[in-house]
Amino acid sequence: MTYPDVLLELIDEFAEIDDKMEILEYVYDLSDEVVDFPVENWNEKTRVLGCQSEAHLEVSVMDGIVELRSGADAKIVQGMMGIITMAINGRNAEDVLQLKPDFAQEMGILNSLSPSRSNGFRNIFDKVMAEVRMKQ
Amino acid sequence: MSLKDDFPILSREVNGHPLVYLDNAATTQKPQVVIDAMTQYYSTSNANVHRAVHTLAGEATEGYEDCRRWLKDWFNAKRAILTSGTTEAINLVAHSWGRANLQSGDVIVLTEMEHHSDIVPWQILAEERGIEIRYVPVLEDFTLDMDAYSLSLHNAKLVCVVHTSNVLGVRNSVDELISLAHQAGAKILIDAAQAVPHDKINFEQLNADFMAFSAHKMCGPTGIGALLVKDDAFEQMQPFMGGGDMIETVTTSGSTYQTNEHKFEAGTPRIAEAIGWSAAFEWMSKIDLPAHHERLINIAKWTAEQLREIGCTVYGRHQSGDAAVVSFLHPTIHSEDFARFLDAKGFAVRTGHHCAQPLLNRLGITGTIRVSFYLYNSQHEAEKFIETVQYIVERFS
Repeated sequence: MTYPDVLLELIDEFAEIDDKMEILEYVYDLSDEVVDFPVENWNEKTRVLGCQSEAHLEVSVMDGIVELRSGADAKIVQGMMGIITMAINGRNAEDVLQLKPDFAQEMGILNSLSPSRSNGFRNIFDKVMAEVRMKQ
Repeated sequence: MSLKDDFPILSREVNGHPLVYLDNAATTQKPQVVIDAMTQYYSTSNANVHRAVHTLAGEATEGYEDCRRWLKDWFNAKRAILTSGTTEAINLVAHSWGRANLQSGDVIVLTEMEHHSDIVPWQILAEERGIEIRYVPVLEDFTLDMDAYSLSLHNAKLVCVVHTSNVLGVRNSVDELISLAHQAGAKILIDAAQAVPHDKINFEQLNADFMAFSAHKMCGPTGIGALLVKDDAFEQMQPFMGGGDMIETVTTSGSTYQTNEHKFEAGTPRIAEAIGWSAAFEWMSKIDLPAHHERLINIAKWTAEQLREIGCTVYGRHQSGDAAVVSFLHPTIHSEDFARFLDAKGFAVRTGHHCAQPLLNRLGITGTIRVSFYLYNSQHEAEKFIETVQYIVERFS
């Protein structure tokens, strides 16, 4: 599928890294890319179920434009949130809903895309998409 | 040739590094003989068991029943029901013994140390029947509060307790737990999932009424386990799942059932898995299990000490008899991040609540990083693990 430019650039950048540790370090650094979602605002509705870490997010759609605010206590999980933030924030909700989660595997940041209790990324992605769908 | 060479998976690399498999409390790896036995069965003898008279059916039946013989010999047990694993074995007791013998107002005693598989079946039954569940607390030294246990036994009909904790590696005082339960007139079920990989338990001598465990934690295949049952408890069990293999006769006016273990093995059983498990028993029969256990608990103790020196909190005591499990947390690096970094360096460890949330609630935490050693692990691997932990701590804390 066709990804937004920012994701294509990220996929290219990840493709240049061979070492899994360096990939994780890069994801770790991308935790800074999230739009801050303060811990005071975390509650049961914002919790990403199925994550081992505490991961919370909130999506708003204003005039058709998506904004994701998120945070997690595990830096790599928050880094995955950062990647999703880069992929969807400021974009039209209809375009965002076309996005498939496969890009995470193309980046080499996941061992599996299947929904499971250990797959934080998939649970985050699915919750984001469900909220965009509901609020568009 | 080392013991490790018997396990083909252990020669692979993960993320460019030699695999160091330290998630054995979740499942152990399989020696080539187990893989070969299952392949051989499907290649040469595949058939359904117990009914047909043809040659393949006879070979399949012998293969399946051979596993039961291994179970009875290995654990010195008279009754061995084959299940899908520990979870199904415990659920089987809940449905077949619990439904027939527990009524409103009866008491079941559990502990805070139980795996969810030894909690949820009882909660379901308790809700359905109006049964009271009492939980024995875990103390600061990671042992069960035996005073509270003694008190909890008043009017108890059933005790369900874990032999060895999957989070802490702590081996409970099972002899005392069993003796006190029986003195109080209660039956007792032992969840031995984490015990049987390390300890060749004598079921008759143990004197528990039920003992549940899985093949895959002792070099056998996934999808198969067993419930050992004492004769009197077996007589009190009613059929749970109905269908083929468990019946004697079926008419439109009713059915009669087998009187042996088949009564609780409805449907086509796990034939290849049973054959694989027999091969695992045979392989393990050539291993000096007590010597390996001593070696592994020493590795676990050394690893725990090193982790404490690095600044981690370690949950467990690592005494002789405990399982070689080390659960720990670092004060600033999240356990999930830690496990991903370790995976990037080839180390397979487990993180999370390990299906024991009541225990973690008692410890005041939501998860740990768990390292669990088994027969093929070495001190050298533990040293490489600690080196990697040090690197991760220096880089990310």
